[in-house]
Amino acid sequence: MKRILIIMLLFFLVGNIMAQDTKQSEIDSLVDVALAKKGFKPSKTQFMIRGYGHTGLNNVTTNGDTESSYVGSAFAPIFLFKHSDKLLFEAELEFVLEANNLDVGLEYANVMYVANDYLTIRAGKFLLPFGTFMERLHPSWVNRLPTKPLGFGHDGIAPGSGIGLELRGSVNLGGPRLNYSVYSTNGPRLKDGSIEPDEAGRLLFSNFEDNNNSKAFGGRLGFLPFSDSSTEIGFSTYSTNGTGIKDTVYQDVGAFLYAFDFSFIKQIPAISGMVDIKSQYNNSKVDNATYIDEEDGLPYTFNNESNSFYAQLSYRPTMADNDFIRKLELVGRYSSFNAPVGAEWAGEAEQYAFGLNYWLSWRSLIKVAYQTTDTIGGHDGDGNTKGFFIHWAIGF
Amino acid sequence: MKTIYKTTIITLSLFLMTVLFVACSSTKDKYTDASDDDFKIEKSGAQLWGETCNRCHLAPSPTDYNDTDWDTIALHMRVRANISKDDIEKIREFLKSAN
Repeated sequence: MKRILIIMLLFFLVGNIMAQDTKQSEIDSLVDVALAKKGFKPSKTQFMIRGYGHTGLNNVTTNGDTESSYVGSAFAPIFLFKHSDKLLFEAELEFVLEANNLDVGLEYANVMYVANDYLTIRAGKFLLPFGTFMERLHPSWVNRLPTKPLGFGHDGIAPGSGIGLELRGSVNLGGPRLNYSVYSTNGPRLKDGSIEPDEAGRLLFSNFEDNNNSKAFGGRLGFLPFSDSSTEIGFSTYSTNGTGIKDTVYQDVGAFLYAFDFSFIKQIPAISGMVDIKSQYNNSKVDNATYIDEEDGLPYTFNNESNSFYAQLSYRPTMADNDFIRKLELVGRYSSFNAPVGAEWAGEAEQYAFGLNYWLSWRSLIKVAYQTTDTIGGHDGDGNTKGFFIHWAIGF
Repeated sequence: MKTIYKTTIITLSLFLMTVLFVACSSTKDKYTDASDDDFKIEKSGAQLWGETCNRCHLAPSPTDYNDTDWDTIALHMRVRANISKDDIEKIREFLKSAN
């Protein structure tokens, strides 16, 4: 009797659960039908926050003097607002803890409109396609090393961003691909030495309100000759007829910059992994001008031409059997910078950087790197700087 | 400095090169009955996802975002990385189908 009661109870419970499942699936299908009848679709408008950040430990020895510090979390949220399938707004803020201060910057903020299959219009502050490093590769979770190559960022010669208007697009040629961008921005400001005499002749690219009526014009053409998109070669220019403040002798000091970039990435079975090569050469020529020497007050001039170069090779054993090894990445980079002879900031620098990365996921990695930089001249004179870095970067 | 002339010449050269490349890729004239598609290397979204995303960063996991997110990310990447419409649409569809 007891057994019969238990069996009946089990049948009742199982039947009830099955009935609930059936009811739930019926409800789901009814909801789907109701939503379909109402014409429900996912919204075309979407607000999204993405971005990246990093933190770590820096140990830097400059001419025998060692400084070690945990570096505060750099946090760079990217705000995306998709207004429609053709219209998007993007903005990136950057919060960086540096020298006991919180630096906040608006790296870019622009509206982009897809006019047709081959043309997109961007307006606002945008990353300049001068080569590929600043536009595509500088975020900490994308950059394979904790530092930027020489010639980029603060004291660099390559423009990072600008305020203006850009046309860009890409076309698939049935295997090979071609991409282009042309733009006009406020252009750079010339440091004429009136505020920082030892910086006279340098270009400052953060020209939020144009200091003259001359605009900068530039563009980049990228060509991917192979159907697997493994290789890209690019050529960029950036030019302006005036960089100095309006109604000064520096008003018509022009500048012409160009860059070549190269990229190759491919999984090669013979070496059981992925090879990634990135390289860029930048050249900057500013018209010769006369500046005032801060020490003797005498005028001087120089051939204001600078260049920088970097080449980076990385390897990930993506075909290794061991999961731990598969997530490792070896990276090496050479970079150089040559400032104009005769300038107060004249100098040469050469840098070698080596790193070992461990990928926690496709957008998060731990970087361990060693870097050595030899400098001749420049602000700090001759010297050598060695750095050891452990950084944790994440994209989100 | 006549940089504006240099820029103009370079810009014109770039456009001419563009026109040349586009013109050379065209098969619409009467020399053959083959369609345009016969000359294109058609790739799946999965292939393009692997090849295109890896040019800058590791290819993303499709499951990390939902369909609506992928729509926004695809539009963003189309512009930021200058990816062609055909390619990005295939990548987006692959990501949405695999998440």
